[in-house]
Amino acid sequence: MSSGLKTVLFAALAVLGFFVPMALGGSGAIYAACVLIAIFAVMSYGLDIIVSDLGEVSLAHTVFFAVGAYTTALLSASAGLGPILSLAGSILVALAVAALLGLVTLQLREFVFSLVTYAVAVVAATIAQNWSFLGGSDGLRGIPLFEISLLGFSARNDQELWPVAYLLLVVAIYMVSSFRRSKLGKAAMMVHLNQRLAVTSGVDPQRTRLQVFLLSAPITASAGWLYAYQRAYISADVLEAYFLILMLTAVVVMGRRLLLGPLAGVALILVQEKFFSFGGYVDKIILGSVLIVTLAFLPNGIVGLFAPLRSLFPRRTMPLGKTIPERS
Amino acid sequence: MNLTQQLINGIVLGHAYALIAIGWTVLLGVARLVNFGHGQMYMLGAFVTWYGISRLGLPYILAIPLAMLIGVVVGYIMQRVLLQLTLKQDLVSIMIVTLGFGYVLHGAAALFFGSTGQILSTPLSMQDIYWGDLWFTYQDIAIVVVTILFFAALKYIIDRTRLGRLARMVAEDPQLAELAGINVKRVYLGVFAFEGAAVALAAALVAPRTPILTSMGFEEVIITFVVVVLGGIGSVLGSYLAGLALGLFVAFFGAFVSPAYAMAAAFAVLIAVLVIRPGGLAVSPGGR
Repeated sequence: MSSGLKTVLFAALAVLGFFVPMALGGSGAIYAACVLIAIFAVMSYGLDIIVSDLGEVSLAHTVFFAVGAYTTALLSASAGLGPILSLAGSILVALAVAALLGLVTLQLREFVFSLVTYAVAVVAATIAQNWSFLGGSDGLRGIPLFEISLLGFSARNDQELWPVAYLLLVVAIYMVSSFRRSKLGKAAMMVHLNQRLAVTSGVDPQRTRLQVFLLSAPITASAGWLYAYQRAYISADVLEAYFLILMLTAVVVMGRRLLLGPLAGVALILVQEKFFSFGGYVDKIILGSVLIVTLAFLPNGIVGLFAPLRSLFPRRTMPLGKTIPERS
Repeated sequence: MNLTQQLINGIVLGHAYALIAIGWTVLLGVARLVNFGHGQMYMLGAFVTWYGISRLGLPYILAIPLAMLIGVVVGYIMQRVLLQLTLKQDLVSIMIVTLGFGYVLHGAAALFFGSTGQILSTPLSMQDIYWGDLWFTYQDIAIVVVTILFFAALKYIIDRTRLGRLARMVAEDPQLAELAGINVKRVYLGVFAFEGAAVALAAALVAPRTPILTSMGFEEVIITFVVVVLGGIGSVLGSYLAGLALGLFVAFFGAFVSPAYAMAAAFAVLIAVLVIRPGGLAVSPGGR
């Protein structure tokens, strides 16, 4: 497929996606589910580029989500700022936290990296529960409506919040897709697959890691930003294991490095939880089991299951490098 | 005499921490495996002990082996599922899968035991000892004694017995061990079953000190990280000393600064160590 055609197709898909909740009946529950799916998918895309491209597992992404949510709650409820400024604030704080965490963990790899990021998440949860500045165990209440007076836009319910959530989702997907085509994305892949080759090709692995980290954190934090408005209050439960497991499952369940994988993963999980729920505890068991089964038995995700079908549709293999002109 | 009381608290806590972490220490040192479901396995051990005593009417001394047996079963099942990943040494996937197991255990425990908090009281935890103005319980003494015995036995097994040599060989070079006719899979399964039993034992002894909830387990994981990393990953003796140091630190920090932030502070120490000395984290094969 030529890249021009691909762009047109993606644009068409992006426009069509907006009407999904309407096509499904447009009830309040549908809009609520769709807004949450969009928010959690954005949250997962932040983690996706760390797991799929950089090849490390950050367990501290719930912290970035919480940073976005708490910053928004503080800026909007206490300081009275609007959504655009609170988004800017969330991104700035997330960048600062990511820079700090990135620098501290720069030397660490694989499981020690994950261990430290997990510990950061657990400690962040105890701090959020105990620090009165963040509302302690009661959390922060009184987050105002999502209102941009400049545009005369205000969202009183999930249906009215949907355009914002969908826009955020499209922007996040666009960012991930441009990242994968960018120099940084290629460098990250090289560091992931062959660090020695990366170093000899002039790629600085630690710099690359830090840059990818700094790109990833604001994406997850912007999901926290919208989540604060959607829920109207924020408490330490944004740091619960649920969000971590949700993100990880969404990233791996469909198959790694699929552009729409995390979105489909989140959609699958949330549809089960919202419309086919067996109660909170059984849902926990289901979500955890999906994660276990995917990683232990389906290394290429659900999409990988259908890989053998692909051979039924023979395709022209893409030429490597320059195309050789055909001889007549 | 507040200082002496804190010293006693610190020593008891320290032995508790060392015992909580020992399963992970062996897992890492002997098999180079990780288990992020460790905290939830601790929770399960505590609840099985509680269930054994208060619902089945077992004496405490029989509830402990029951909890350990369940721990062995859970550890075995986990490793059974993980086996392919273990043989590939895919640590990243192992990590996430064990995290998933922890989540499933939490859901299952809440379903079975209910989500309300319980008090696990044992015959030992009910008996206080007053010594001048110092206070502790028989449970505290049991924790210290069992930990010391457990560590001594483990050190002996790893260093001096055939079983220990086998496990160390598998850790050093799984392929070579396989060639030498060792059933590597069995060693991995055994090590994970040991991890399950060890953490259940720790839970049965330590959990009576605080109320138990099915949502607990995260603090125990942090404790374990700190002990394992500070002790020099995989070192049995190192873990014991690191556990003791952490216990004293938490007791004094909790008494003089703030009990709510004691874990956060302990973790800050861990970060400092990691930043200053990242090379000191190399896994010493064989877990000695």
